[in-house]
Amino acid sequence: MKVDEIMTKKLETIEANASIYDAIERMIDKRIRSLLVKPRDENDVYGVITVRDIVFKVLAKNLNLNTTKVGEITSKPLVCIDKGVDVEYAVNLMTKFNITRVFICDGKEIMGIISLLDVMSSELIKRAREEHGA
Amino acid sequence: MLKNVFGGSTEQKVIDDIRKHIHTLSSAADCFKKGLEEWDKDQMYCVSDLEREGDSIRREIISTIYEGAFLPFLRTNICRYVEIVDEAFDVLKDAAFEFNYLGPELEEEIREDCIRIAGINKEMCEMLAIAFDTLFNKGDLREKTLAIRIYEKKVDDIKFELISKLRKKEVKDFWEGRILSDFIAYLTHISDVIEDASDYLHIMNLSMR
Repeated sequence: MKVDEIMTKKLETIEANASIYDAIERMIDKRIRSLLVKPRDENDVYGVITVRDIVFKVLAKNLNLNTTKVGEITSKPLVCIDKGVDVEYAVNLMTKFNITRVFICDGKEIMGIISLLDVMSSELIKRAREEHGA
Repeated sequence: MLKNVFGGSTEQKVIDDIRKHIHTLSSAADCFKKGLEEWDKDQMYCVSDLEREGDSIRREIISTIYEGAFLPFLRTNICRYVEIVDEAFDVLKDAAFEFNYLGPELEEEIREDCIRIAGINKEMCEMLAIAFDTLFNKGDLREKTLAIRIYEKKVDDIKFELISKLRKKEVKDFWEGRILSDFIAYLTHISDVIEDASDYLHIMNLSMR
């Protein structure tokens, strides 16, 4: 199975100078666990901020949610793979870099994201169908 | 499991008809998806045709059961299962009916989400057919019902997004808003009904142990 068959195409973005509070609000509203952080300028690249980053890098250190900026805790560059790559390769990357999501890119364009939950769900569906020969 | 215990000809007829019933539902879901993709209102008429066919299969199943197929304690569960699948037909038909009254076009973003839901609904129907067949072979029914729940969760996530988009949409008059709202409500309810049907398969499986 290829990554573009299971990727989520909807990507929620946030500005690097937005507050952590804004990011939390967006994640709760959209029921998601990560946000794509837009580049600050032409020389910058996309990054990602996750719930894990917020908990460990901000909440655990008791930093101010309104004054701490998203850009301060953003992880970059993104771990990107090509859309035609096998899901297995994406899982290997996740294991290697100890991450739970990988971005699907076509050149500079970010097409989608796959998370561990996407991999698990699609694998279970695949098994349920395969056993039946469907 | 059913086949080993109840291998009679009337029982086999019921099983074959139930299988046919689910496959007809899959065809209706497929037809609905195609109609939506092509935004073709004429194509949608196939949904009500297939729903009528489904109705007739359901009547046949219930009659055969009450003519004496299966032990009495199993009949209620089987009938209830068939009725839930029939409810899925009804909701699909209601969605197709509302579609006919939608405007000539819909915002691309909303339309895309609707097509994604229709695609998942179709895959859920196929998985329900696979799950039903699992009752007669050594497959793992739990695995299939879990797959159905995963699909349902996906629809729920899209529904959540879709509703927030709809709230921002400007409507010209009462009926435009009402029709769109009902269309989305029916479209997103189909997965709930299929999930209920899969839960009933699990109950049937337990009751035959």
